[in-house]
Amino acid sequence: MPRGQKSKLRARAKRCQGRSETKGLGGAQATAAEEENSPSSASPLLGDRSQNLPTAGTRSTPKSPQRAAGVSCADSNEGANSQNEESSDESYCEDPLNEKVVLLVEFLLRKYQAKEPITKADMLKSVIKNKKYQFPEILKRASEHMELAFGIDLKEVDPIRHCYTFVNKLDLTADDMVIDEENTPKTGLLMIVLAVIFKKGNCATEEEVWKVLNLMGVYAGKKHSIYGEPKKVLTQELVQMKYLEYRQVPNSDPPRYEFLWGPRARVETSKMKVLEFLAKVHDTTPSAFPSCYEEAMKDEEERARARIEARARSSAMATARAKAKPSSSSCPK
Amino acid sequence: MGAPRSRSPRLEVPSYMQCSTRRMGIMTDVHRRFLQLLMTHGVLEEQAVKRLQKHCYKVHDRNAAVEKLEDFINNINSVLESLYIEVKKGVTEDDGRPVYALVNLATTSISKMASDFAENELDLFRKALELIIDSESGFASSTNILNLVDQLKGKKMRKKEAEQVLQKFVQNKWLIEKEGEFTLHSRAILEMEQYIRETYPDSVKMCNICHSLLIQGQSCETCGIRMHLPCVAKYFQSNSEPRCPHCNDYWPHEIPEIFNPEKEREAGISTSNKKSLRSRQH
Repeated sequence: MPRGQKSKLRARAKRCQGRSETKGLGGAQATAAEEENSPSSASPLLGDRSQNLPTAGTRSTPKSPQRAAGVSCADSNEGANSQNEESSDESYCEDPLNEKVVLLVEFLLRKYQAKEPITKADMLKSVIKNKKYQFPEILKRASEHMELAFGIDLKEVDPIRHCYTFVNKLDLTADDMVIDEENTPKTGLLMIVLAVIFKKGNCATEEEVWKVLNLMGVYAGKKHSIYGEPKKVLTQELVQMKYLEYRQVPNSDPPRYEFLWGPRARVETSKMKVLEFLAKVHDTTPSAFPSCYEEAMKDEEERARARIEARARSSAMATARAKAKPSSSSCPK
Repeated sequence: MGAPRSRSPRLEVPSYMQCSTRRMGIMTDVHRRFLQLLMTHGVLEEQAVKRLQKHCYKVHDRNAAVEKLEDFINNINSVLESLYIEVKKGVTEDDGRPVYALVNLATTSISKMASDFAENELDLFRKALELIIDSESGFASSTNILNLVDQLKGKKMRKKEAEQVLQKFVQNKWLIEKEGEFTLHSRAILEMEQYIRETYPDSVKMCNICHSLLIQGQSCETCGIRMHLPCVAKYFQSNSEPRCPHCNDYWPHEIPEIFNPEKEREAGISTSNKKSLRSRQH
């Protein structure tokens, strides 16, 4: 019975820790031999790879069957994976972190598919565990993988409570879902509610929302064939997922409630996108709603500005890092 | 399921790629969109995968030639390798259709389902899984699964609830239902083969031809070896006197017909018709 992938992953990490003194071809070859011996009918696993390992031929990472000859090959895959070849000095000690990075990516992908927000506490508990102090580095690497391989960005929406959400860099539209119709339709309902909220000046009473939904044949308490029980979806599910905020109208007695955009909606979509959706529904163009259009345009400008600033910041950091490199090794101790 | 050796593309890397000049994978938005959508669907049949691939090219790179699917996937897999993730190809156990799923190899458990289901629901799945693996036919009856409802971990679940949960499993492509009985969907087999082989090493069944996990199949009545239906079809292709590859006794079962993409396209037969004509083997 082949060893589990997880235990292989861990064993590799342990080996790396022990071997941190024996860098170079010798150590790598030993791993190669070890790899061959472990029977594996599952998918080939990589050897001790971390993005930050030196690329020059010191690493040999056997990939099961065809490498059975034990040929040591420079692992040129690094190029595709790592976009931050920051330092060639990093020792093999980086490697045990790799296990956590891989597990965190798996965790994040699951959360992404479930459309659940993530907290730092969650990540620490489920994945990071004993490597708490390396959380920032692990998270950074995992985010880079997510972005590179899947085009999914991880954004912090609440810096105080350390809540994160995903932003899809690819614009998925209804066209993308054509292959399979069973996709979750709640997005449609959400877009409608977001549009109503936006149109009502970014805050809509519950009555106003239901008025619009009733026109579409969606009623509170009446199970809908596509959306399920609408009131539950709006006031519980979408709120839990941080797409909507549902709160009592201040000083209302008997209590009345209102909806606002949730933080996740603000990150994952935009006023302009929602306005475009609204326009489509009414078979017209966004400019048919002048005040909304103006507001949406302002919002787009602000977002563009924020994006430019962020890019400038990250390129400045990259330059600073690049400048710092050569001097670090010659720094007198 | 698991096909004729669930074909990990890497087995076919030509020799010139084995040295340092190995071409590494490049990820573009075409590949990323493909991955996102494949992930959303859980598992897709090959025809749908090809349509998906073409769609992704159309969105991002209209003028590029659509790469051959196998190469396209190999490319993606080479980039995903360091994450212990893979686009895995398998074959449906009942009619041999090629299917694809994005599979995570780092953790061996049913963690893939964990985000969609509660603790007691996951435990129900484990119970159903165990019954399926222990069964002769690869199917577990609804009644037998529901009788285990009292043994579930977590919040107490009633039988009525459990029926709904089983339907949820079917909707999410973890189980298939046929006439009140449940077996594993090809998605579950692709994603959990590793987990199953490790967790049930004694009761797990393997195919004599492809050596992969076997849930549904035919078995020799004399020596007991088992084969997947598609493996049987391929092995006994145009053989008028099929004999057991192990003990050479006459093979007592009907040799099934399996999915052939060319034949289907020519004849214009709808796949659903084909399915209903075939009765469950074994």
